[in-house]
Amino acid sequence: MRVLIQLRPSPDLVAAVADPTMTATTSDVSDGLPGVVLDQSYIPVAVPRPMPASPTGDPLSLNQPLIYSMAPDEASVVLRGEVSDDEVSTRMSLLPGRRDVVAVYADPVIETSLTCGGTPPVGDWHDVERLLRVAELRAEGLDGSGVTLAVTDTGINAAHVARRLGRGLTVDQERSWTPPGVPGGAGEFAVDHGSMCAFDALISAPQASLIDIPVLLSRRPGGSALDGLLSDAVAAFAHLRAVLDAQPAATRSLVVSNSWGSFSPRWDFAPGHPGNYSDNPAHPFNLIVGSLAEAGADLLFAAGNCGRDCPDGRCAYPDRSITGANSHAKVLSIGGVDVNGERVGYSSQGPGRLTQRKPDFCAYTHFAGSRAFGENSPDSGTSAACPVAAGLVAAIRTQWPAARLSPAALRTLLRRSADDRGELGYDYDYGYGIVDAAGIIGALRSRANRAA
Amino acid sequence: MVLITVRLTRGATMDLALRKLSLTKEDVDLGYGLIPLDPDKGTYGMRVTPEAARKLADDGRDFEGPWSDPRIEPFGPPR
Repeated sequence: MRVLIQLRPSPDLVAAVADPTMTATTSDVSDGLPGVVLDQSYIPVAVPRPMPASPTGDPLSLNQPLIYSMAPDEASVVLRGEVSDDEVSTRMSLLPGRRDVVAVYADPVIETSLTCGGTPPVGDWHDVERLLRVAELRAEGLDGSGVTLAVTDTGINAAHVARRLGRGLTVDQERSWTPPGVPGGAGEFAVDHGSMCAFDALISAPQASLIDIPVLLSRRPGGSALDGLLSDAVAAFAHLRAVLDAQPAATRSLVVSNSWGSFSPRWDFAPGHPGNYSDNPAHPFNLIVGSLAEAGADLLFAAGNCGRDCPDGRCAYPDRSITGANSHAKVLSIGGVDVNGERVGYSSQGPGRLTQRKPDFCAYTHFAGSRAFGENSPDSGTSAACPVAAGLVAAIRTQWPAARLSPAALRTLLRRSADDRGELGYDYDYGYGIVDAAGIIGALRSRANRAA
Repeated sequence: MVLITVRLTRGATMDLALRKLSLTKEDVDLGYGLIPLDPDKGTYGMRVTPEAARKLADDGRDFEGPWSDPRIEPFGPPR
């Protein structure tokens, strides 16, 4: 067990430890303690003595006004060491009083408690609303009005989403698209993952017009109820290209939220094979993604739930789990943080396979929101972070269509304005940081002023 | 069915693709159809039977693939 040992050596030694211009070592302070392996790499630390602020104060109480004395004859010194686990109680009781030892304390490992798959919700969607500064966005006229927001997922249940939001929403029946053979109409699918995504996207873009693309409901032999094939996504993106091309060039704005991907290399050709998807920019889906972004669409993909700390059980890539289009240079790859700004343990880390610098940035997840999975289940996964970010992009597009701010310029703006976390600058945990609505609003104001 | 890509003229139809590749309707996934991938470059995707893909390769037809067509799944909730 690691321990901290408090000693009160001679005043001149305490003075040496307390003096920042001198470097006292552990061996200067103690030549050894019975049953303790002292950590010689630990620099001794001087600790002040708490004393009553009043001359009549209780010298043994910490529950009164105190002053802290670093006087050499009053301060003490702390060292670090280790005692055998089966002798902890004996050593901790016998050491004080011997060889200048005042007390022995436990030195527990300190770490943040990571949010993982089974963790209850952290905050709720109103926290997300506050963090994304939705009121300020609305005041700037950025509420998603006139913006098309496609949710490619398991289909939307509009009634459930409206009930949870407490307001109406628009599902564009005409421009929605369903894979062949999938029963049901736009906005009328069972409450599931797609409804969560729609709910989360509408937090910051309440007036956006949703396009329902239930690509994960495609029917095929051997498939489960909630998965699809990448070729279905190819067809869906071809439909979205037609939607985009039909919009007037001056007001073109299409945001596409994709909270899905491939968990396993088992379904893919190996990297290096000409038909491979995960690492191959020439794969048809990666081509159509690039082509749609180039034509003016904003494409956002979830980074995935294969973070090293608590990966989803389905994760089968041995490394670099952000694959294929989720790591495409022309998309935004979104990692997840909770509403306290801590990266959730399952959020996939970079580098990406098509582009190294993935994820691009993080957005909020793991909060109580749509209740698509039950009353007490959070909107979780990078699945929730992606539409949260997509909603913010849709809000921006209200006043800034692609003709005014290209998708590439918008991606750069979002990266540059992100609130840097983790290591200084870009890192593979948080990307460029956490999406920062205040920074975005400021950058857009500056841009508008420059253009005026 | 496997995913392949072909180069055709802008606005091409499935009939045109079948004729160009000498395929029959039984060789392709008609429900999936002919998918324009990049209209500017005339690139289209289609799903064909593995036998048809082999025949196209043996005949030296102008196509690319088969491409992998992996299963895709929602990224949440984490399991």
